[in-house]
Amino acid sequence: MIRWVLQGILRDKNRSLFPFLVVTAGVALVVFTFGFMEGIFMGMIDSTANLDTGHLRLVNKPFYDEEHLNPMDRALTGQNETRNWLIANSDPKIKWAPRIRWGAIADVPDENGETRSQTPIIGMALDLLSPDSRELERLDLKNSLLDGRLPEAAKEILLGYELARTLDVELEQTITLLGQTFDGGLATDNYTVVGFVRFGVFAMDKKMALIDLADAQDSFYMEDTVTDWLGFLPSHVAYKDYKNFKVALQSRLSDLILHPPKDWAKDDIPIVMSVLDQRNLDNLVNVFEMIKKIFVGIIVLLMVLVLWNAGLLNGIHRYGELGLLLAMGQTHAKLVWLLGIEAFAIGVLGALAGSLIGGGVVYYLQEVGINMGDAFAQTGMMMNDVMRGRVTAESFLLGAGPGIIASVLGSLFASVALFQRSEANLFRELEAG
Amino acid sequence: MNNIVSIDKVAKVFRVGDEDFTALHEISLDIEPGAFMSFVGPSGSGKTTLLNLIGGLDQPTSGSVFFKNVKLGELNRTALAEYRRKNLGFIFQTYNLLPVYSVYENILFPLLLDGNKESAVRRSVLDMVDSVGLSDQIKKRPSQLSGGQCQRVAIARALVKKPELILADEPTANLDAENSFQILELMRELNKQFKAAFIFSTHDEKVTKYVNREVGLEDGRVCWDKRRNGSGSFE
Ligand SMILES: Nc1ncnc2c1ncn2[C@@H]1O[C@H](COP(=O)(O)OP(=O)(O)OP(=O)(O)O)[C@@H](O)[C@H]1O
Ligand SMILES: [Mg+2]
Repeated sequence: MIRWVLQGILRDKNRSLFPFLVVTAGVALVVFTFGFMEGIFMGMIDSTANLDTGHLRLVNKPFYDEEHLNPMDRALTGQNETRNWLIANSDPKIKWAPRIRWGAIADVPDENGETRSQTPIIGMALDLLSPDSRELERLDLKNSLLDGRLPEAAKEILLGYELARTLDVELEQTITLLGQTFDGGLATDNYTVVGFVRFGVFAMDKKMALIDLADAQDSFYMEDTVTDWLGFLPSHVAYKDYKNFKVALQSRLSDLILHPPKDWAKDDIPIVMSVLDQRNLDNLVNVFEMIKKIFVGIIVLLMVLVLWNAGLLNGIHRYGELGLLLAMGQTHAKLVWLLGIEAFAIGVLGALAGSLIGGGVVYYLQEVGINMGDAFAQTGMMMNDVMRGRVTAESFLLGAGPGIIASVLGSLFASVALFQRSEANLFRELEAG
Repeated sequence: MNNIVSIDKVAKVFRVGDEDFTALHEISLDIEPGAFMSFVGPSGSGKTTLLNLIGGLDQPTSGSVFFKNVKLGELNRTALAEYRRKNLGFIFQTYNLLPVYSVYENILFPLLLDGNKESAVRRSVLDMVDSVGLSDQIKKRPSQLSGGQCQRVAIARALVKKPELILADEPTANLDAENSFQILELMRELNKQFKAAFIFSTHDEKVTKYVNREVGLEDGRVCWDKRRNGSGSFE
């Protein structure tokens, strides 16, 4: 019987094409929009993670509590021991990178060595020089470099391009960083400005400087010490799963607290966060999830309305056929059931086609991307210039499922009219032809 | 009582606006198994109304319709649907074939509705196609057939489940004389072959030549009830 129904659907393009197209369009829209939103959203999360927070972050609680002050004296020593512990105790998918958040005054001298300009900067130190470091890719530094080059030797510094303008420095000029040492003393060191970077986030372009991790450890007397351990997950891991990785690692932390690296301070307390716990991103996730639900709801509602009408038209178009079935002894319930199967089949076909179309576009965005160039530079969001989509199983489910449901619901609403149809007039109706 | 259908003082009153309109006045009729008969009468005389009542498509206002001693008035909607599915075949003036399905599939359809598997009933469908002389049209769609051929498909569809009763409302009204004769001839043969009772409603005088019994209706009353005698003429 189901094969029979399918044959009918395939042969009678008149009655199935429209509902099929509606479902296809609706599903494609949902799959595409979700994939697109996910892509942008994940892009944002990834940018934040790469620049600032990691997908996971291990940090000393006393440091984190006063993070805005850059209390470098509360950084964690025992770099190698900590790294080894992290590798041994966390999911092998996570790649760990040590970083130092530092703060300093940047002083630019004139020809006579007098201060020409001065400004406080916030900085990040990361492994820029080891050949196997992935940090350059994470910050997409090659593409973000507006002018100059990447550091190649010790004591070279990259500046946010707005910061460079404020300081009025030129490439290959030497500037002095005045900061605090690990034990509270004054640290000064000279760096050569080698490049200007656009991070794409105004606050960072205005204040941020990047130096090599080893240089920072030398300048600020932080031998074997870092402020942050950032953990990076492959991009196919959905943000919803970050929490699982975090919880897994948290459950191992007591071991690190009980058996800390030997140089740790007594009151060092490592904590683990995910990117979503920081910069208010969890709120954004909630809003995002809500928008998704509302969006699906609206699309489904629209689809149901359209399909309901299509179902009514279909019912009129096939009045004779349905009446015939009643005359031939089909019960009303069975008839509605048949129409339901039909709608289900159309829903499945439409959902397939819609998923292919929507998913195809998103896949293109994911693999190739649309270069939006400067369009995002002004927005202040942490976002890449290349707009990407993201193919996720969820967007397929959220697209295809409601598409099928809408098709069946629409048809069921329409067939309520069938229930009111009495057999008594069938002969007359059928004669009328 | 071994009649296939008994109509016992059946009246049908329709409410039209504020007025009652009596379409059938306390009609009583017995129809024997294997009958080949027609209801004749002018338009509005109640032929279709009577077929509706026999087919369980409508309920009488008073009186009862029995199918083999089962009172249709006591069946609920589902049971009536089952009654039609199991015992009745319908033939319509406008054929009412399913346009997207082939001749073969249209005839197969009632068997599928009854829960049969195609493979199990293919033989009987093909035999049925053969009985109505459409073996070489089997793959065609209704739109590719003539009116006479369509009505043959409809007859085959009505008979394929081997029902005991076929109800045909004006089966020849859309056909020309030649085709009408052929269709009537075919139905008479099938009546003999399958032992199913056929009840027609018709204006068509040609039908008179074929039936064994003719019930004349006028204004919802039976005016005559003639049966063909041994020598072939009505009495
Ligand atoms: N549902 C209904 N509501 C009101 N009146 C009806 C209804 N059905 C039938 N009638 C009336 O009952 C009478 C008998 O109708 P019926 O359809 O049985 O006639 P008929 O003999 O089949 O006529 P025809 O040869 O034109 O098909 C007609 O006057 C018709 O108007
Ligand atoms: Mg009639």
